[in-house]
Amino acid sequence: MQHQRNTGHTGEVRKATAEEVHQRIELLWERLQERKREQVVSLQERLEVRRV
Amino acid sequence: KHWDDDTDPEDDQIDDTDDIDPEAEYAAWKLRELKRVRREREAIEAKEKELAEIERRRNLTEEERR
Amino acid sequence: MSKSEFHRADERRFLDERGSSGPLAPNGLNPATIMEKAVRERIIDSYFYKEQCFGVNEADIVDRVVEHVDFIGGVAGTVQKPTPFLCLAFKLLQLAPSDDILNEYLQFGGEKFKYLRALALFYIRLTRKDQDVYKTLEPFLEDRRKLRRKGRNGTSLTYMDVFVDDLLTKDRVCATSLWKMRKRDILEDLDMLEPRVSPLGNIEDLLEEEDEELRKAEE
Repeated sequence: MQHQRNTGHTGEVRKATAEEVHQRIELLWERLQERKREQVVSLQERLEVRRV
Repeated sequence: KHWDDDTDPEDDQIDDTDDIDPEAEYAAWKLRELKRVRREREAIEAKEKELAEIERRRNLTEEERR
Repeated sequence: MSKSEFHRADERRFLDERGSSGPLAPNGLNPATIMEKAVRERIIDSYFYKEQCFGVNEADIVDRVVEHVDFIGGVAGTVQKPTPFLCLAFKLLQLAPSDDILNEYLQFGGEKFKYLRALALFYIRLTRKDQDVYKTLEPFLEDRRKLRRKGRNGTSLTYMDVFVDDLLTKDRVCATSLWKMRKRDILEDLDMLEPRVSPLGNIEDLLEEEDEELRKAEE
């Protein structure tokens, strides 16, 4: 039974705690900020290329 | 993403970015909030008026009620 | 491990328990029947629900909102397709998140992701007791962030505070009939609520201020 649960064969999904929800929000926010920074960098690079 | 395959093009025209003009956005909110407060106040006034009317009728004599 | 530490990955049991032994929401309603039958059927049939809402827990909900929700709404388009917003609200009815988790959605998450806050507000309106709905929702009348809304008449722009006001005063929001709460003044009379103070302060003071300004202008 335990094995089945871990491999997801029982059709059950573990409940999340408030702490886990908090951490997930933090992770997704960091990821979004990272993506934004990359966009700024790539935009600057493109501008650099154009200038050359 | 086939669940939004029929995304209509007008969506892109509606920009939900915040803090483009914070002052104007605050002013617009203040107006909305004032309207809500006024509406709540008017509702209270209407209720009080209604209660006063009920009270007035109760105080009328049989004669006056006819 | 106790059974209660797990959710069903799908909604089958949730729907089977309709009207029987399933746990009720804090406001006494059966979460399985809060949305109308026709809407529930459309949700369960939708690609979004099948692909993005299976085997999802309370933390995964945040991923789905961040990735897929960029407008609020119930059903949209000529085929009345349920929006990702509505599908995720339905999923929340199944997951029945605790107040602690809802608080993360509203506050910590809500500051960062406005559509997550909107979803939590909608869900709280559907499931919590009336005095808790007022207490929890009203502070967000101060949130003036923009929201895209999609409905029968296409897409429009609205605001978080307007959405909150709709949830508190309208009968129907996002293709869902809202259960009838007692009016605010009744709850005040019962000492269940303090009168609401607007973030703008006392309205009498405000009106006085306006008069004062008028007087000054006349001088």
